[in-house]
Amino acid sequence: MTGISDILGFNFVVIGPTLTLLATALILLFVTITISTPTFVKKYVTLFGILSTVFAVFLKFGLFLSDGVSSYFSEKILLDEFALVGNVLIVLVLLFTFNSFWKTSSQIDNKTTEALILILMSASGFLLMVDSENFIMLFIGLEIGSISLYALAGLNRGDQLSNEASLKYFLLGSLASCILIYGIALVYVSLSISGVYETSIAISFIGPENVPLTSLIGLILIIVGLLFKVAAAPFQAWAPDVYQGSPTGYVGYMASVAKASSFIVLARLSAVSLNFIIDKFDLFFTAVIILSVLLGALFATNQSDLKRLIAYSGVIQSGFILSGISFGVYGISASIFYLATYIIQLIGVFTIFSIISGQLSSNFAISNLSGLFKENKFLTITFSIFMLGIAGLPLTSGFVSKFILITNLWSYEKYILVTVLMLSTVAGFYFYLKPIWVAAVEKTDNTIEQIKIQNSDKLLISTLAFLTIYLGLLPNTLVNITRWMVENYL
Amino acid sequence: MTGIILSLLLVPLFSALLVFSIPNNRKELFRPIGIVFSLITFTQSMYILFSDYSKSDFQILLKFEWIQVYGLEINLGISGMSTLLLLLSSLLVLLSLLSIGKDHSESKGFIGSILTLHFAINGVFISGDLISLFIFFEALLIPMYFLMGIWGGDNRRYATIKFILYTVFGSIFIFIGTVYTAVISYGVNARLAVDFETLSTLEITASQSKTLFLLFTFGFLIKVPIFPLHTWLPDAHVEAPTAGSILLAGILLKVGAYGILRVSIPFFTEGFLEYKNIVAVLSVIGIIYGAVVAIAQIDIKKLIAYSSISHMGYVMLGISAGEFLSIEGAIIQMINHGITAGALFMLVGFIYERRHTRNISSFGGVKITMPRYAAIFLFTSFASIGLPGLNGFVGEFMILMGSYNSYKMLTSIAAFGVVLAAIYMLWAYQRVFTGPLSNEENKNLQDLNLRETVSIFPLVLLMLFIGIFPSYIESFVIQEAGNLSETISLFRSTK
Repeated sequence: MTGISDILGFNFVVIGPTLTLLATALILLFVTITISTPTFVKKYVTLFGILSTVFAVFLKFGLFLSDGVSSYFSEKILLDEFALVGNVLIVLVLLFTFNSFWKTSSQIDNKTTEALILILMSASGFLLMVDSENFIMLFIGLEIGSISLYALAGLNRGDQLSNEASLKYFLLGSLASCILIYGIALVYVSLSISGVYETSIAISFIGPENVPLTSLIGLILIIVGLLFKVAAAPFQAWAPDVYQGSPTGYVGYMASVAKASSFIVLARLSAVSLNFIIDKFDLFFTAVIILSVLLGALFATNQSDLKRLIAYSGVIQSGFILSGISFGVYGISASIFYLATYIIQLIGVFTIFSIISGQLSSNFAISNLSGLFKENKFLTITFSIFMLGIAGLPLTSGFVSKFILITNLWSYEKYILVTVLMLSTVAGFYFYLKPIWVAAVEKTDNTIEQIKIQNSDKLLISTLAFLTIYLGLLPNTLVNITRWMVENYL
Repeated sequence: MTGIILSLLLVPLFSALLVFSIPNNRKELFRPIGIVFSLITFTQSMYILFSDYSKSDFQILLKFEWIQVYGLEINLGISGMSTLLLLLSSLLVLLSLLSIGKDHSESKGFIGSILTLHFAINGVFISGDLISLFIFFEALLIPMYFLMGIWGGDNRRYATIKFILYTVFGSIFIFIGTVYTAVISYGVNARLAVDFETLSTLEITASQSKTLFLLFTFGFLIKVPIFPLHTWLPDAHVEAPTAGSILLAGILLKVGAYGILRVSIPFFTEGFLEYKNIVAVLSVIGIIYGAVVAIAQIDIKKLIAYSSISHMGYVMLGISAGEFLSIEGAIIQMINHGITAGALFMLVGFIYERRHTRNISSFGGVKITMPRYAAIFLFTSFASIGLPGLNGFVGEFMILMGSYNSYKMLTSIAAFGVVLAAIYMLWAYQRVFTGPLSNEENKNLQDLNLRETVSIFPLVLLMLFIGIFPSYIESFVIQEAGNLSETISLFRSTK
């Protein structure tokens, strides 16, 4: 006897992580509006919520082992390798950035709870996004996540740059959402479908050569909507201003969670939906990659603000990751490896920024680093490791990820792409070494004010730096995991 | 033997970490630790020198899985040429640690960076596949960046960035070459095998061979450096601290030529036969150009830097001629130039510590106040010029003799480089050491003290030893040079 819930595929384990985060957010909300709560209660409720989410992700692994790839909630929610890895990435981002966003939130007067709720809501939205089988579900998840991020960017209301960042992010982000929903509508109009797997079935049914132009345009618009979130050129205009203006303690979270979820969804689109027609998008992807890499390198070269520099470097990295996603299944696995290692370095860099300049600050000029080596050797060394990792120097994870990506591209004979990507790496050494020079090498009489590092921060930063070196020396495990992800889609 | 190979990497790394972990109030410990550990590495290299491997072709002794799904392995091994270069590098690290003055020897970062550099250099010479070669090749940059950036001269920022960007630009080509080779190897072996054993049996088409030769050789030639790509070298040498200059001229320049001998020629021989004439012409231009520019220099360090370009030109001429004798001469010239250029930079460092200038015009008559120093300088200059009986003569003579069959015209022009070398070295000697003591400040100069004499003495002995018994050092490279020239003549006959 099967009930209606079984037929529709109700299974709350699948959306367990999302629900846990939502529940935590609601508990926080109700507790703080009913009784006056001490700060440490809020902290531990949030932490408990995040740890429960980790547990919920474990439960999803159990479900995956018994059910395999399957969809639930009348084909709205999907449980596959991409969803699992996406969940793990987002939860890890939450864990790694917890310290930093907690300290930021506790410094914002009277808005601590709002900030925490916004973060939990955005994470739950992005979790829903990577779990979505249906395009509308994808849109809802993306909106829940992004709207929270818009608010988060402007949370420091006294700061003009923060307001500017929030407004810019909101306006351009809404435009991206419009493009995304328009794309979904076009696909639905032309093929009467709106799902990841449905698209692939429909295309294989009518034959790749008969796909109507309307649905191709629709798919491109969906991809453009997602590329907006990862700041790939020419959709990168918001990134530098938003990174610069937002409270430093939040940027690590904001940047990495949006990148992680959007790239996972893009990877799934490329592996499943566009499986048969990916070669029709070759020109589009090539153009986006070349533009991202060139524009990013061009603008990053003369930035004097470090947060803007990292934003433009993020544009380059998006180009790199995209170059794997759009060329072959093994490329997708290389991209996920790149994504994971890049997120580790990104979080590390922003944690260090927020320690040096304070959580709420917005500007962070390169000259702020002057004299860092004298004041704090630990931060200087770890900062150099992260920057060299992003630059892709051997012995760090950045080199391994670049190597496997380029190897894949070369096997597809994309020589122009390889050339452009490698040239941007050379340029990268110029602007990634510049902050290291200021921080560690240059002799200066500047003394920056005393930096206090908590032990938890020290532990976090050294873990991230260790991971950067470890994945550079022994990348085998992570490569195997990313390979396992894509094995079913060969 | 595998343990020795691995410890060539681990001992310098461990010693660097040890130096970094000692608190700053025990300043006197830094240098002794560095010296003891580089002495250990030196002993290990000596052990290899007296083993069977020191006279053989490249042998892979150690391999482990790096990325399993791609079939990527890290291979380590040894050969005759590597043994000599390892020995040279540990000797130069040891002596440069001994020779540096107080401001550097009490700096934790300086000693630590030199030991890290030692680690990376050893890595380059024992790596048995393209991936690890590339990794260590790039890893050389990190300690050099800090050595030049922190302890360099006034214009160090410009020189450091130039050095880094030049090398990274070159290594991008090596990187793409590695990727290309790996993809070709994947088609045959179903894994990305790029170790030297697999590559020596890998069959590639002529056009692939040409492309790969260009990619690898371009990257390595920047490091040599060859004529139009040399501009980073004088800047880097002038701005680098003394120990950095010694290691840069003594070993880092050899990495490029080593890469060409190890990778470009044996695996991409058809490409070599296609493009060797271009390399030969460029290297002869480099020989003459470097020597002529050296004559005009007013800074002693810049003079020696340009003389390095000239001397490395001989190495490249010998390699591109591709005869047995010329390749053998090129390898020996690599060792010899490491010894003499290292000694010259060390000597310049000694006088710079006393006078804080390297301008030739501010000296004159130094022979009167520093007789011992003048004698050693003259001896080293003669070795650098190539006076028969000293080491410089051996390599250059073998190169000129070996290349004459292939390039009669070019070799005749290159021979003038020896005359020019005599002009710039002896004229510089004349202006610095002879004549009246015109400058007041030169009247109170102290002659070399015991530490400085001890640190220069082994190099002087080696110059004499190699000059008199070249056959001893030759015995380590006969096998490798023979194999290389055989491969080349085999391809030439099938063409």
